[in-house]
Amino acid sequence: MALVEIDGLRKLYGDVVALSDISITVPSGSFYTLLGPSGCGKTTLLRTIAGFHNQNAGQIRVDGTSIEGLPAYRRDVGMVFQDYAIFPHLSVYDNVAFGLKQRKVPSAEIKSRVGEVLEVVQLGAFEQRMPHELSGGQQQRVGLARAIVIKPKVLLMDEPLSNLDARLRVDLRAELRRIQQDLGITTIYVTHDQEEALAMSDTVCVMYGGVIQQAASPLDIYLRPANRFVATFVGANNFLGVDQNGADLTLRASGADLSDLLSSAQRPVAITSAIRPEAMHVQAGEAAASADRVAIPASIKEVSFIGREMEVFAITKSGEILKSVDRPDPAIIGLTPGSPVTLTAPRNEIIFFEDSETGERLT
Amino acid sequence: MMKRRPDFWTVVTVLIIVTLVVLLIVPILRVLLLSFVDADTGAWTFGNYVEVFTRNYYLTGFKNTLFVGLLGTLGACLLGIPLAFFTARFHLRGRAWISTLAILVLVAPPFIGAYAWIMILGSNGVVTNFFEGFGIEIPTIYGAHGIILVFTLKLFPFVFLMTQTALNAVNKSFEDAAENLGCTPWQRFTKITLPLVFPAISTGAIICFVLAIADFGTPAILGRGFRTLSTIAFAAYRSELGGLPTMAVTVSMIMMAISMLALFAQRRILSRRRYASSLTNLPVKQKLTGWRNVAVHGFCHGVVLLAMLPTLVVVYTSFLKTNGPVFVGGFGLESYSRILRDTPEAIGNSFLFALAAVVLITAFSSLISYVIVRRDTAASGAIDFLMMVPYLVPGVVMAIGFVTTFRSGSFFGLGTATMLVLLYFIRRLPYGVRSTTSSLRQVKPSMEEAAINLGAPPLTAFLKVTIPLIMPGLIVGSLMSFITAINELSGTLIIYDAGTLTMPVKIYLAVLDGEFGLAAALSTVLLLCTGVCVYAVFRFADNRDSAFL
Ligand SMILES: Nc1ncnc2c1ncn2[C@@H]1O[C@H](COP(=O)(O)OP(=O)(O)O)[C@@H](O)[C@H]1O
Ligand SMILES: [Mg+2]
Repeated sequence: MALVEIDGLRKLYGDVVALSDISITVPSGSFYTLLGPSGCGKTTLLRTIAGFHNQNAGQIRVDGTSIEGLPAYRRDVGMVFQDYAIFPHLSVYDNVAFGLKQRKVPSAEIKSRVGEVLEVVQLGAFEQRMPHELSGGQQQRVGLARAIVIKPKVLLMDEPLSNLDARLRVDLRAELRRIQQDLGITTIYVTHDQEEALAMSDTVCVMYGGVIQQAASPLDIYLRPANRFVATFVGANNFLGVDQNGADLTLRASGADLSDLLSSAQRPVAITSAIRPEAMHVQAGEAAASADRVAIPASIKEVSFIGREMEVFAITKSGEILKSVDRPDPAIIGLTPGSPVTLTAPRNEIIFFEDSETGERLT
Repeated sequence: MMKRRPDFWTVVTVLIIVTLVVLLIVPILRVLLLSFVDADTGAWTFGNYVEVFTRNYYLTGFKNTLFVGLLGTLGACLLGIPLAFFTARFHLRGRAWISTLAILVLVAPPFIGAYAWIMILGSNGVVTNFFEGFGIEIPTIYGAHGIILVFTLKLFPFVFLMTQTALNAVNKSFEDAAENLGCTPWQRFTKITLPLVFPAISTGAIICFVLAIADFGTPAILGRGFRTLSTIAFAAYRSELGGLPTMAVTVSMIMMAISMLALFAQRRILSRRRYASSLTNLPVKQKLTGWRNVAVHGFCHGVVLLAMLPTLVVVYTSFLKTNGPVFVGGFGLESYSRILRDTPEAIGNSFLFALAAVVLITAFSSLISYVIVRRDTAASGAIDFLMMVPYLVPGVVMAIGFVTTFRSGSFFGLGTATMLVLLYFIRRLPYGVRSTTSSLRQVKPSMEEAAINLGAPPLTAFLKVTIPLIMPGLIVGSLMSFITAINELSGTLIIYDAGTLTMPVKIYLAVLDGEFGLAAALSTVLLLCTGVCVYAVFRFADNRDSAFL
């Protein structure tokens, strides 16, 4: 258990900036997830913490002490690899015992600790198996056992579930979280799967282009995305153009007046509004706006019924494509492309961003 | 970057570079510099090169070298390409047998072929005498045509094995598509298949050419007045003994230049022809019938048997009854007892030097392959490049470089035995590195990282995780370097002295003395241990055919 502080971290590969000015704090014992699209620098950050390469600038402190000068093999930071990295020439027991032997732990203690940790990951009966006799999920458990048996100060996991099939992924997700909470071990977890991130983490840290976009609780990330990128990447979002005319702020697609939602002092030159698909309700034909709902006339592009819910894509008069996720409605599912519909959404669920890729949230 | 104390692999990289500089670059540079020195005055001069390109003696040697090199390579292609095509595309009985024989031909000591052919087609050869009995005078083996014959039969396995590997990797869909677009089988072969495997063919051909240019034993034994650059260099070295071997090194440099030019030309041509394809649709083998079937079987088995003939003759000869150098009829073990009486030390030395070199090669090739595969620095690129150099440098050049650099009394003064071990080490190191490198490329880097992450320092991670995982490649590489080290002749001939006679040298000297029984017995011993190594390679290699290339 340890507090991890990263301060002004910078990492270049040649002239490619992989990490620029990363500063985060991982509270002791928490589950901290780095979430972002492929290539955003998650692995680089994790490997820098593990000591596999040196940063160009910045500091990493564990419990207040800089680990700058420590080589990777003395950092006491456990790592679970994406491809498991189970030593194929060693049995499950010897894989798990590897780190303990390096630490010159007495052999009786090694035996009991390996036995215990294999129970924790539910591999008690597999001690003498060779890695090629294990399934992917079991290998991943060995990888986890091998990393936690040394009781590292920090546990790092780089997309540990990404090579497993969907159902196993969900099962193992819960198990990982349980083990982490039981041990109270400070964990930095990397994933590009937003669902995984939201379901497991105490804190989700969204990265993009080597820069931290937002670090907050899963709920905050979802409800109060810090910028347009986070709003798009975590959950889906509909972005709707707005027009500014003096003090007026209107929704381009319907002409609805939104001036009261964003004070004129908060308005930059280019603004966009966003509404979550699950906040959008679809009605056939025309419908009027109400005091607390905006109404956007549109025509059906595509309706897909996916069981629990239906997804409706509609085109507004101004040509924007909107997505709605709603309870299945036979009247809507039967509509053919081109049919007129109205999408309505609560006014208080409309949020505003500066109109650029990572434009800040304005409300 | 922030400063840290140099890590383990940086230290290893420096160690490797220093070793390569001392044992590879310095000797070659010495030879290069020496070729610009006037033997009498010691002054700088281009005179040596002028002499080579103006005097008939050298010019003829130059032309002869190119002549036998090119024709030997052509012959190897003419045998190797059809053989590869037949084995890869038709159902053949005894396919494994054919490739095993080809591999044996490839690894057998080069000079054995030359003198075995003397016993078959020489002035007193079996076939020569047979025809003489009918009063028919057939041309003997001596001269250019004999050398070309030996090169052809010795070198075709390179073309064969490389082309066969490539043919097995050609996606069948390409050939199907060609047929679908209206190509006849012959058009399909010339327009699709052949161009696709051209890179492999040309690589095989270049290996043949480089080996043929540098080969010393064959022209030395079969030349009889037909001189090539390698025999000229050796003769020059012998006559200049005591003085500066300037002409020997100048001639050697020219040999090396020819090899390098050929290689660079091939690389240039290849750089415009890189074909990547996935092997989704495996090639299939056709069944032949009738006379075609007989002809293809006859060709394939005929070629490998003919190429094996010298080896068989050598083994057979070794069991003939002899009295001194004379065969007296019947079978006996006199030749073997003569080895034990005359030169038991040749066997001991050969094993001692080759094993010592292989121990070094094993250690270095594991370290070097790690640096090449895992470290992305300019130094590792340079090491990777340097690993190609020993293939291109004729043994004569390396040996003269060694003698001039490490002669006792000089700055690095070394004993003869040490020099031989180091010569074998540096010349055969690439065999170990190549095999180990390809093995290591299949090990995920996360393996070592996991070990380090669990607290193992780099050396421990390397020994406990990397080495066990690359063990098969390391063993195959060590065996290959052992085979090639124990068969080394051209360099040893320059360096050896009375106390450091090796089997190849003794065989060479025995052949020159007409002691064919003794030579055959020693050659059989050499063949036997080569054969044992080949068998071991078969056991450990994933792909037995390409392990030998
Ligand atoms: N060894 C490397 N050399 C050069 N560029 C690299 C290297 N490793 C990663 N990168 C680059 O750094 C960026 C971040 O990579 P990475 O940390 O692997 O992203 P992620 O794990 O989020 O997918 C990418 O643009 C990638 O191309
Ligand atoms: Mg990654």
